Amino acid sequence: MWSKHRNKVLLIKILLLVVMLLMMVGGLSGLGCIKGLQPVGWSGGAVVDGTLFVGSTEGRLVAINIADGSRQWSEALTKPAAAGIFGCEASTAGGGCAAAPAGVAIYGTPAMADGLVYIGGYNGKISAFNASSLAVRWVYPREGYLDEPVVGGPVVAQGKVYIGASDGKFYALNAETGDREWEFQAGDKIWSTPVVDGDTVYFGSFDNKLYALSATDGSKKWEFETEGAIAATPLVYNNTVYIGSFDRHLYALNAANGSLEWKFMGGNWFWAKPVVYNNTIYAPNLDGKVYILNAETGDEIVDAVDLGSPISSSPVIVDGSVIFASQKGLIYSIDTDGNEISPPNPIDVEKNVYGPLSASEGIVYIHALKIVSGCATSPSEGELIRLNAQKWEIEESIPLSSE
Amino acid sequence: MNPWELIILQPVVNILIVLTDYLFDNFGLAIIALTIIVRVITLPLTTKQLRATKGMQELQPKIAELQQKYGKDKQKLAQEQMRLYKESGMSPAGCMLPMLVQMPVWIALFQAILLSLAVAPEGLLNLSRYLYSWPQVYPMLPLGKEFLGLNLAEGNFILAILVGGTMWVQQKMVTPVTTDPRQQAQSRMMLWMMPLMFGFFCLTFPSGLALYWLVSNLITIAIQYYMTGWGALVPSAAGKPASRDKKYIRRITQIEETTSEPPVEADIVVPSSEGDYGRSGDKSQERGGGYPPSLRTIRRQSGRGGSHRPKRR
Repeated sequence: MWSKHRNKVLLIKILLLVVMLLMMVGGLSGLGCIKGLQPVGWSGGAVVDGTLFVGSTEGRLVAINIADGSRQWSEALTKPAAAGIFGCEASTAGGGCAAAPAGVAIYGTPAMADGLVYIGGYNGKISAFNASSLAVRWVYPREGYLDEPVVGGPVVAQGKVYIGASDGKFYALNAETGDREWEFQAGDKIWSTPVVDGDTVYFGSFDNKLYALSATDGSKKWEFETEGAIAATPLVYNNTVYIGSFDRHLYALNAANGSLEWKFMGGNWFWAKPVVYNNTIYAPNLDGKVYILNAETGDEIVDAVDLGSPISSSPVIVDGSVIFASQKGLIYSIDTDGNEISPPNPIDVEKNVYGPLSASEGIVYIHALKIVSGCATSPSEGELIRLNAQKWEIEESIPLSSE
Repeated sequence: MNPWELIILQPVVNILIVLTDYLFDNFGLAIIALTIIVRVITLPLTTKQLRATKGMQELQPKIAELQQKYGKDKQKLAQEQMRLYKESGMSPAGCMLPMLVQMPVWIALFQAILLSLAVAPEGLLNLSRYLYSWPQVYPMLPLGKEFLGLNLAEGNFILAILVGGTMWVQQKMVTPVTTDPRQQAQSRMMLWMMPLMFGFFCLTFPSGLALYWLVSNLITIAIQYYMTGWGALVPSAAGKPASRDKKYIRRITQIEETTSEPPVEADIVVPSSEGDYGRSGDKSQERGGGYPPSLRTIRRQSGRGGSHRPKRR
């Protein structure tokens, strides 16, 4: 009897201990999950000659024939060997390796030129694929990986691939061979996808600066310092560079010398790239609002349009309407004539949207992800939603999983 | 945002960011500062829990005696145990309750650190939802992750060892000294299980969290030392009272020296001989004099620390 009682006490103590530990670890998922411990990816799509290229959450480049929806997958991007013990990577696994997605996250939208498609991966590698076969043409670096992940997308111009990395370096690679032509060291991470205009390449960095470099040799033309990190992609229009910052401002800078023309304050970070139409800037913000500004003066043309949840995906313009997606997966259209939501009812894709939208022939392509248990995303849940902008209805969506 | 995030998590995240701003843009220092602040705020709960734990440990031999005596009569055993707890001013819930009250605070701190580290791009986007419109908050992000050569966003082997080691020390200090092989086995399990589990967590979680655990463990060790001494960590000191206990023992000694008869309204009443025991109407009987002689000393021990003396009636 005495022995039984003691065993019971021991059992209760062990149970209490386990419950405490589970509460501590389970607190992550039970009491407001910490999202974003695992890199998942939110690549946008690029449509070229009837084919849409997009990075999947499996870490593959997917080519989709937009006429018939047929798909083709590249080999999955490879990862560096796991750094932690028991196969876990602390930086990516978060609450244990079991929940970590298998694929390499791809955040940047692929770029295509001369039969090659380029992407940067969270594995710290830049890859070029043959557009028709999706066979790997080259990778940079050829051996090993960059010290830090690549988050921003590439851009191709003048026979070079321009891309920034989290190691703070901005690379110009030979588009044909992948050889490095030049590199530029910024003060912090570069997540911003660059923009090339003429002989100048523009990009932002977490060192709070927007850089303008010579696209030919990488020499610095000018830099402009904001008060916050820059993750957004710049917009170049009418010799003005528009860039959003974590200091909650959207800046308009003279493209030639980087002097400030105006700045506008939003409610949260400007993360997504704005679009311009008829001299009007449509700038989405993480406060869930779209700010509609005069491109020359920065004055608000109408009151900001509230979409209800943060907007991190860059909008697209289709037939005079600007299409936005909020993180909650609600798709809105703002008519550029009256600058109001039209049609009034948003479309709910019932998944989360983080990455930029793309459009071709009146169809908007939205990379939507299903968040599982608030923390992890199952790679199989990523799909490409097709929205007919004119009919304002969802067409058949395309799963991005290769399984 | 759910109530937990709105009331608990969001303020902690913003305080952490502001602390980083004030502490030379160093997130590691902010984690240390916030851990200290939280531990100071929860100090009364911690001390209460430690006292209760120690008191319960001191009661264990007496409970064992009761179990031996009334093992077959469960109802009687329960009654006697309750009586013992009541007389000594102890309660099993006294150990768990303060700990349970502190758990949400620990979880909030734990989540806030992970959230603020914003390891992946999704994390940074998610973090933006929690920010207050305080001027220094928005431009501060993303927070720097370097601290003393460590990357706070990645697991670290050295920190894992330090966390495991300090947790072992902390556990060892509260491990009761016992000759019972079963209790020894149980103590051994507790002694190693927690450090190993937390050491493993430190390898798989960002080391910003390990830093929090390390600082928290060091603070706990310091409080435990002040409250109960080194305990079983230093065998020679195991039987010695802690500095806080010494004051109380001195007081008891003074009382005993200055009075020939135990004062009836004294905090501690110890029957001086078998003859005192069982006297009708005696205060000592009302306060547990019904226990066998071997149990009587418990009332002297339970007074240590001054907070668990029997209530005056």
